[in-house]
This record gives sequence, structure tokens and C-alpha cells, in this order.
Amino acid sequence: MSNTKDKLSDAALVIRIKDDDSKALEEIVKRYSNKVYNLAFHLTRDASAAEEIMQEVFLTVIAKIATLTNEAYFATWLYRVTTNAAYGFLRKEKKFSDQPSVDDMNQDQSPTYDWSTLPDDILLSEESSSVLRESIDSLPETMRTIVIMKDVDGFKNEEIAQSLGLSVPAVKSRLHRGRLILRRTLSDYFRKYSDASGEDV
Amino acid sequence: MNCKLCSALFQEYLENTLSEDLINELNNHMNHCERCGIFFRTYSLTVTLSRQVETPSCVSTEKIQRLTALLCERLLSK
Ligand SMILES: [Zn+2]
Repeated sequence: MSNTKDKLSDAALVIRIKDDDSKALEEIVKRYSNKVYNLAFHLTRDASAAEEIMQEVFLTVIAKIATLTNEAYFATWLYRVTTNAAYGFLRKEKKFSDQPSVDDMNQDQSPTYDWSTLPDDILLSEESSSVLRESIDSLPETMRTIVIMKDVDGFKNEEIAQSLGLSVPAVKSRLHRGRLILRRTLSDYFRKYSDASGEDV
Repeated sequence: MNCKLCSALFQEYLENTLSEDLINELNNHMNHCERCGIFFRTYSLTVTLSRQVETPSCVSTEKIQRLTALLCERLLSK
């Protein structure tokens, strides 16, 4: 029976869930639980919160599925419920609420040091990952969500826009600004390796 | 092509949405402008590194089963 369900579109499954079909619900959980969990985990940085959010999200699916009038938008609706639940958790925990000042957005510093040529063991070190992770976490909330959805989790611009209720250009401009901030943080961090190689900075 | 336009197109370049002409112009500019070349390489590497900052996790089968059982019970008791 699951073989035929595998071939059903999300929209077809949603219509069945509206008719209380538990097999369709099982298939939707199978299809989306990892995506929902990872998004919640990356937004909250908290594994047990991510599990709770996953459960809450699917309970919301059951409770509110009748209000979803266009079944084709199921996935983005699900991501919207997920990001809202993650925001709820972050507000409660007062995590990542510090907003960088406008000065932090200034990206006029000239990029003269080419750290893209550094060896992988430096680029991919635990330390550089944690510098990048901290920099992502210090971005303003919506920008942080967009960077995580797009660059960490690989969502499409259109999916992000629909999930967050923004236009695609608004998503792209925040994404670009976010990347510029991260790039500058990494440039500052990797600069110490240019000194080590005796180059003039 | 000037430096300002060049850097404004980085994002579209990575999205693969630029016309061939524009890509050629952009590459041509970056071949001559060291600053934009470095900017582009470090910008795209930032995107690549972000992708690797977290390893995707899998929810365990047991947890999925427990969740599914809870959901089915809730669905049928609606
Ligand atoms: Zn230039």
C-alpha cells in the first residue's frame, strides 16, 4: 500500500489527510519529518527543542489542515509553521535576540586578502566553522532565517519567500546582505593566516 | 562593467540566472580587477562554507514511529 502512496503528490496526500486518512498522514510524516527537524534544529540550535517543534508542527498540520485551501502550498505552509514555532522557542529562551548595529552591515572594507586559496584544513577547521556559526547567529532574525534556509538547508528562494511571507526580491536582498556580513567575519578571522605566510596586509 | 555592478551580480551568478553575455562581461572584469576577483571567490566560498556548517541529521525510526502513532491517534479522535 505504501508503494502507491509514494507516488502521490503532496496535494493528493493532503486531500486524503483532510478525510482523516492515517496512511496519507504517515506518508507526509515520512516525507517531511527530517526537513522539519533539521530546519527547527538549525534555527534553534537545540536538539530537544527541535524534536518538540517537529511534534508541534505535525499536530498543527492535523488541527489546521482544513484551513489550507490550496493543497499545492502544503510544503511552504509546513515550513512557515516550523519557522514560527522556532521563533516562539527563541523568544521564550531569549536566544539570538541581539541585533547587530548598522555599522556591522557596512561592507565597504576592501577585500584585499584572498583567503579562498587557504588549504581545506584551515577553511574547514572546527574553529572556522564555529566562527561562521556564531556569525550566522548574530544576524538579525529574518536575515538569519533566510541564510539558514538557503545556504545551510538548501531551500529555494521561492520556498523561503512563501514560508516567510516575503517577496522573492526581499529574500534575495537580505540573503545577499547576510552573506556579505558573514564574508567579512570570515575575512577578519582568516586574516591571521595571511600574517603567518609573511604577506603584506 | 564597473566594480559596483560586478559585485551586485555575484548572487545571480551563483544562482545561474545570468545571460551568457553578462557572464562573459563579469568574468572579463574579474580577470582585470583583482579586488572583484577576490571578492567573488571569498563571497562564493562563504556560501560553500555555510552549507557545511551543519551536518544534516536524521530523525531516528523509533521517534518517527512514536510521532506517527501519536498523530494517527489524534487524527482519528478528531
Ligand atoms: Zn572590480
